[in-house]
Amino acid sequence: MRKYSIFALAREAMRQHKGWEEQWGSPEPKSSYDVIIIGAGGHGLGTAYYLAKEHGIKNIAVLEKSWLGGGNTGRNTTVIRSNYLYDESAGLYNHALNMWDNLSQDINYNVMYSARGVMMLAHNVHDVQVLKRHVHANRLNGVQNEWLSPQEAKEFCPPLNISKSCRYPIMGAALQRKGGTARHDAVAWGYARAASDLGVDIIQNCEVTGIRRAADGSVTGVETGKGFIGAKKVGVVAAGNTSHIMQMADVRMPLESFPLQALVSEPLKPIFPCVVMSNSVHTYISQSDKGELVIGAGTDQYTSYAPNGSLHITNHNLEAICELFPAFSRVKMMRTWAGTVDVTPDRSPILAKTPVKGLYVNCGWGTGGFKATPGSAHVFAHTIANDAPHKINEFFTLERFKTGRLVDESAAAAVAH
Amino acid sequence: MLYIRCPYCEEYRPEIEFRHAGEAHIERPTNLAEISADDMEKFLFIRENKRGIIFERWRHIHGCGRFFNCVRDAVTDQIIMTYKSGEPKPSDAEIEKAILALKEEQA
Amino acid sequence: MANSIQALRNLPLDGRLAGGAGVSITPAEPMSRVSLRVKDKDVKAIGKALGVALPSKPKTSNMSGDRASAGRCALWIGPDEWLVLDGEGADIAGALAKTKAVISVVNISHRNTAILLEGQNAVDVLRAGCPQNLNDDVFPVGACSRTILGKAEVVIWRTDEQSYHVECWRSFSDYVFKFISQAAKGL
Repeated sequence: MRKYSIFALAREAMRQHKGWEEQWGSPEPKSSYDVIIIGAGGHGLGTAYYLAKEHGIKNIAVLEKSWLGGGNTGRNTTVIRSNYLYDESAGLYNHALNMWDNLSQDINYNVMYSARGVMMLAHNVHDVQVLKRHVHANRLNGVQNEWLSPQEAKEFCPPLNISKSCRYPIMGAALQRKGGTARHDAVAWGYARAASDLGVDIIQNCEVTGIRRAADGSVTGVETGKGFIGAKKVGVVAAGNTSHIMQMADVRMPLESFPLQALVSEPLKPIFPCVVMSNSVHTYISQSDKGELVIGAGTDQYTSYAPNGSLHITNHNLEAICELFPAFSRVKMMRTWAGTVDVTPDRSPILAKTPVKGLYVNCGWGTGGFKATPGSAHVFAHTIANDAPHKINEFFTLERFKTGRLVDESAAAAVAH
Repeated sequence: MLYIRCPYCEEYRPEIEFRHAGEAHIERPTNLAEISADDMEKFLFIRENKRGIIFERWRHIHGCGRFFNCVRDAVTDQIIMTYKSGEPKPSDAEIEKAILALKEEQA
Repeated sequence: MANSIQALRNLPLDGRLAGGAGVSITPAEPMSRVSLRVKDKDVKAIGKALGVALPSKPKTSNMSGDRASAGRCALWIGPDEWLVLDGEGADIAGALAKTKAVISVVNISHRNTAILLEGQNAVDVLRAGCPQNLNDDVFPVGACSRTILGKAEVVIWRTDEQSYHVECWRSFSDYVFKFISQAAKGL
């Protein structure tokens, strides 16, 4: 691929921009590959990229039932942070956080990573205790996190209302300065372009309808809308559709798929400098580089594969925003949408081998997958290439639901419930 | 917002009077202390999560307060039928019938 | 000799008054209340003991007298659950003390309080926070339902053409009264 750079920009400007290449190809599927990844979201495309780049695997296909990056990667609220509670999570999310630093340079694509800070507000004594505990746990694990007084919080984020007389006063906040946002679509497109350049076939409009296995139970390939494609290794990275795919190999999952809504306002001049999350008032907000306020909260209450959700959830979300930031009560909301998120009982992901030889699964990210994209892709590629988990994802097994060794991050998943 | 017919109140009510109560027809083992880890996992965590017609429970929490069962198409969110707690899962034929009846109603 | 102190009961919405165009909003007088659970086979007998039949049809109510404030009323809440009110403050549980049936009687006289809405716009005020259909054809005089108003659980009982009796928990009554008052301002 032609490297993106200021020189490339200048050169093309001279040629009326006629020389830009397609970012990725549209190949027909080969009859077989070394590895098939099911799901061309950020995690799936990233996995294919690292398999090719770091493990020298030449023959990889990413199969996508609709268009690449059109699932949750294209629908999230772009928040990046690693301030989860447990040691296991610290390893995984912080690995991802550190990878964001150089991702744009690494894949030669501007993902617009902005370490503008993620602030979690404490509104009552319980919040203060929980967040301080998180800060301590994080710092002991080398994860950056710090406690701010209300005044310090307001200095960092001027729109905050730290008056003692409001209904949910701010008693302090936990700030992860390295957290922030990135442009979600760019992550999918960047990984797609980089993977494609390394020879990965990205095959869109190709839905997997079955998983074929040999007599000994091992994977031999997948049935798709474009015919059978052989592979000895298949990685399922299909988010809300994971249960559906895994049952094709008779693997039953501890997952439920819920609608997760988000919305953006009309563009405003820069007013909001960071990401603010409030578990108690139940919402979170940031401002995109286009000026839109990006707002999210928890899932709808019922399982569904229709990415819709109901309006009362959005209403509740906006009530919370207006409670925290009355100044925004007149802002017009421009667009709402939803994705389908797969939720595990302990709100921690599954990045693991499965009981089926050659079948690997990366799922269960629930409402918090985007932030982990590079880290998840990286360790999942390792897991597939080596047929064994990386040290970082060794706790995120399918077995933990049998052994009881759950990694309960319900609280750190913040507003999700 | 979903519009759900409570079989006890005998009328349709808006979703916010209800609380979703998970997959239906999961039998709680009577010998929890003795079952295998596999069976415990099945009971507590493994869910069908079907991309199609599902059987779920709702509780009419801000209404009569009762739990009941519901057949819904999880892809279109169309609710096909609801039935009282303790009543058996409707057969495929009953579900087909209910879907046809809904189509006629809407026509 | 020990001194004794008289405990005085405060009414949660004492002295409050609100209203708007076509609606007046007043706290109800105290009354005695019971949350009652009775099995199917005992419904008739319990009704007899109470002096008011327990309605078996969802969303309906029965009154022993001719209005809510005089005599006993039974409101259908669920298939085996009723809210029984006595406008004269009589001892409802006492009336059931002699029954042999296995029933659940919980005195909630002071767990609940009630707000009365009167006027042609009373129903619109309720519609501001209640997602249930309150139209005449499905919520006629005598209809009652546990439901939600804003964020609080309530029981709405239509006592007359333009009269509604809204029950709520004491600790939510401030919120419910304010919600109703705010809604009335928007008429």
